[in-house]
Amino acid sequence: MAIKTILVVEDDRFIGEMYVRSLKKADYDVDWVVGGNDGLVAARNKPYDLILLDVMLPERRGNEIMEALRGKEDLIPNTKIIILTNFEQDEESRMAMEHRADAYLIKAEITPKKLLDVIASLN
Amino acid sequence: MEVTPQPAAPPTTQTHMRDYWPRYRKKMYIIITAVQCLCMLVVFSALELFGVTQLTWYGVFLWAFAVALLLNTITITLIHVFGKPFRDLVQAVVLAAGEPSTEAPANPNTPAYEKDGFRDILQTVYELAARGEATTTEGGQLSSDVVLSTGMDNTSTGVIILDANHSIVYSNHAAPVRTDTRGGLVIDLLFAEDDTLEQWLEKAEKSKLTAEHQWTRIADKLPGEKGRRFFDIAASYHKGSNAETIITLYDRTGDYMPEEDELDFISFAAHELRGPITVIRGYLDVLHEELHPVLERDQAELMERLIVTSNRLSSYVNNILNAAKYDRKHLRLHLSEERITDIYKTISDDMQLRASAQNRLLVIDIPDTLPTVAADNNAVGEVLGNLIDNAIKYSNEGGLVHVTAHATPGFVEVAVIDRGIGIPVSVMPNLFHKFYRSHRSRETIAGTGIGLYISKAIVSSHGGTITARSVENEGSTFSFTLPIYDSVADKLKSGSSNNQSLIEHGSGWIRNHSLYRG
Repeated sequence: MAIKTILVVEDDRFIGEMYVRSLKKADYDVDWVVGGNDGLVAARNKPYDLILLDVMLPERRGNEIMEALRGKEDLIPNTKIIILTNFEQDEESRMAMEHRADAYLIKAEITPKKLLDVIASLN
Repeated sequence: MEVTPQPAAPPTTQTHMRDYWPRYRKKMYIIITAVQCLCMLVVFSALELFGVTQLTWYGVFLWAFAVALLLNTITITLIHVFGKPFRDLVQAVVLAAGEPSTEAPANPNTPAYEKDGFRDILQTVYELAARGEATTTEGGQLSSDVVLSTGMDNTSTGVIILDANHSIVYSNHAAPVRTDTRGGLVIDLLFAEDDTLEQWLEKAEKSKLTAEHQWTRIADKLPGEKGRRFFDIAASYHKGSNAETIITLYDRTGDYMPEEDELDFISFAAHELRGPITVIRGYLDVLHEELHPVLERDQAELMERLIVTSNRLSSYVNNILNAAKYDRKHLRLHLSEERITDIYKTISDDMQLRASAQNRLLVIDIPDTLPTVAADNNAVGEVLGNLIDNAIKYSNEGGLVHVTAHATPGFVEVAVIDRGIGIPVSVMPNLFHKFYRSHRSRETIAGTGIGLYISKAIVSSHGGTITARSVENEGSTFSFTLPIYDSVADKLKSGSSNNQSLIEHGSGWIRNHSLYRG
């Protein structure tokens, strides 16, 4: 299934706007939320094709959101998740997240153009 | 060496201490009774003699019997009451001597003893007995075991002894051991994944009679946890001995901790830099694309310089983070089957831009026919990026940077060749050291001096080697080797299911992210 709708969970305004702008230009439907709680609510309420998930979020961390969405049972089987972070976790929590995510990216390494390539490759 | 109290030597004669009190009581009773009888005899004889009483023999006998009965009862009661402290004292000593006794040990805390102060006396006997148990043996001399165990507990060097089942049979106070959930003692240390005590022990058990091994800088807790300690460790193994494995641990926390804190800080600071770098690189990417049609030629060039510089900044931050991780033994590699051309492709755009922005010609000559290698795509990309970046930096305007690759037995060798300023012979030995840069380049060329250090770390962690050849003013060639995938595939597959195992002679540090795995 081709990716069309994307949820961006990102608390940094500059970074969030950057992703939203590029994704919209590439014709994706994009929703952007800033907080961890809003992110979880949005992810559960609307069937997105893809979620771009930051880790260091206010209220609720990305790994907690991940746990809530794909922990015991997969609540969003038709949604792909890309973890975007600049803080590399310790090996164990990183492995746990990487295992459940469809991609794990370092933000500083991923320019919007590269991000579009990655999303295209997930299709 | 289990330190157990020496049992008291059995008495050589048949007399037991525990029999003393009944014997003494009997003796006391007989003597007192005898004295009483004697006294009675004297008194009655006197009374009879002086005719005070006019009793028949029958009457005298009855009287004597009554008085004797009374006195006897009094005697028994008195002996019981006043002899009790003495009896308890004897009993306490019997207990202290370790002689088996059917009597319950005397209780020093009875109200009577508490009141008259005898409690302290009895207590002292018990305390002395407890102390004596720990420090004395037959003849009152200190046992060598006790000296040894006291000494061991007073030293700052940890000592752990394992038996043939790898269970801890002895550990002194300084040893980092903890009790696990099943109540057993376990060694509380975080060994590097591919060089653990267990692995070494298992290897030694299979093939050796005696073996020695050393580890340095092993921590007992994760970074950031309180009371973290670092040890240099030596272990020796002697097959069949009842102390089969002896582990000595030197606490080097004082030496390693300041550096560790510094690495924590460096890592934290470098992570912080990534936020702004994300924004700068991202926005430049957006602007580059959107402004491309309207920018003048020279403006486009400035834009490219910005992009190149921000990419470089990002690489330097990665070098710093990787070096901090490597130094803390946290750098992990995820090895998989890769083609050198594919690895280069991930950095190709960036490198071509770096070369063209600085008027260098970057020529890539990597044949597609080369065998695949066992590599961490991302880490090798960083190595290649570092070498090409150096070649660009240290070559002249308009110069050529040539990247070639060829297969050697068991390896693929990649070379980055420049025709630049070269490296003085005096500098060559220090080239791969941290923070070392050519003396002349220090003022004129920017860089962190960490690129070659981390490149070497990454290559040797793959099981490859990195070398530099250079002639001053003629140029340099940096080349590195990576193991051909087929030559290590079996090891990789057998090591773990997710092919993240490490090549045997690589030191196997852990890389913390792989760029993306779809």
